[in-house]
Amino acid sequence: MKRTVRALVAIVCIAFAPVAVAGELEDGANAFIRALEQEAISSLTDPAKERPARVQAFRQLFDQKFAVQAIGRWVLGRNWRRATEEEQTEFLKLFEDLMVAMYVDRFENYAGEKLDILKTTPVDENRATVHTEIVRPEGVDAKPISVLWRVGRQDDIYKVLDVVVEGASMSITLQKEFASIVRNTGSVAGLIEELRKKTAELNPS
Amino acid sequence: MTARGLRAIAVAGLLLLAGCATPPPVTDKDAYQEYVAENDPVEPLNRAVFAFNRALDEGLFQPAARAYRDVVPLWFRQRIGSAIDNLRAPVIFMNDILQGEFDRAMTTFVRFTVNSTLGLAGLNDVARDSGLEMHDEDFGQTLAVWGSEPGPYLMLPVLGPSNPRDVVGTVVDFLADPFNAWAQNTGREELSYARTGVAALHARAGLLDLTDDLEKNSIDLYAATRSLYRQTRANAISNGNVTGPDVSSAPADFPELGDTKEISGKP
Repeated sequence: MKRTVRALVAIVCIAFAPVAVAGELEDGANAFIRALEQEAISSLTDPAKERPARVQAFRQLFDQKFAVQAIGRWVLGRNWRRATEEEQTEFLKLFEDLMVAMYVDRFENYAGEKLDILKTTPVDENRATVHTEIVRPEGVDAKPISVLWRVGRQDDIYKVLDVVVEGASMSITLQKEFASIVRNTGSVAGLIEELRKKTAELNPS
Repeated sequence: MTARGLRAIAVAGLLLLAGCATPPPVTDKDAYQEYVAENDPVEPLNRAVFAFNRALDEGLFQPAARAYRDVVPLWFRQRIGSAIDNLRAPVIFMNDILQGEFDRAMTTFVRFTVNSTLGLAGLNDVARDSGLEMHDEDFGQTLAVWGSEPGPYLMLPVLGPSNPRDVVGTVVDFLADPFNAWAQNTGREELSYARTGVAALHARAGLLDLTDDLEKNSIDLYAATRSLYRQTRANAISNGNVTGPDVSSAPADFPELGDTKEISGKP
């Protein structure tokens, strides 16, 4: 009897193996977003730290959880290939500074508000979209804010690829903005100069 | 035609000409494709209008919106918001029907009936408390559902980002609005203006967090606004089901994982 049960379990496991693997990506992505939320809140609301130390802690978290380089390359688009190696390195460094400054504010503004995971849909075998809602505390517009987290996985490491707020993708917006700056300044070097000014203004040090 | 009329047309023509962007040569394939995809042939003129709008916003609308947000208690702002939403219901209902969205039309209809009566002339969104969430629709979205293209990007004075499709939509919605028609027909135009003013103030106040974030973090605010407008409209047209090519074309590969392992391995 015991043996039959074990055999049955084995058969069931094999039969459902592909399903289990597919569900694994979604579960992993969900757990990843939950962890990101918790860690972002604790790094930004730690009362024992001064704000610069909190931002520093957030930067480390951000580097771990966001595919900053993948996003940076994608955002620069066709101009990535036109940039020299030094420009690429410089761009990625400034891009990280800009992203950290942007997301510190955004996470701080929403820290402590309820993040509900609605559903998670796979995009392909290593990417998934986690559909979430931020439930605002009693406000004028009590409608929850829709936030989609596009998450990628490789070797069991998950990272955020894009954040889509109410249908607006951060990556697409930055890509269009950067393309426009390259057009108007005439070169990637011009964009880097503008980024340097902006990040200096956002992170006075 | 008077001399003044002719002069006005000549000036307008010159402005338009001066406002046209110079397209890159067709031989530069990537640049030319980018220019066509951006669909903003009057970008210089649009940017000038945008600068004007920003000055007007900073000097007038933003201070008014901040004062409204900071001075008027939340309870009153919620009542105002509900009343404005409720007045929009007939136009939303019309567009629900025109788009063949009968379930959503039903929601709008019941919401309007309940909120106008039990909700005391729309001042309270009692329908939401029983699970009937508000949704928006406009004739620009209806035209999109019918297959109309948006046309080139336009920055309208005072009104902000738009395109020919949404301009037509705004005009049709205004003309179809029963409240406006009633105000016109009974010589109470000022009520129509007052409603528009209050709705604009309330909407501007609701956007303060977003625009503050953008002002602070953008380098090219005009380009960021253009992209956000298009994405937001695409999202509204699909009723929040963003599955279009835009989203799925976001960063696909994960090229840095070799690098990122090092990054995440940092102390």
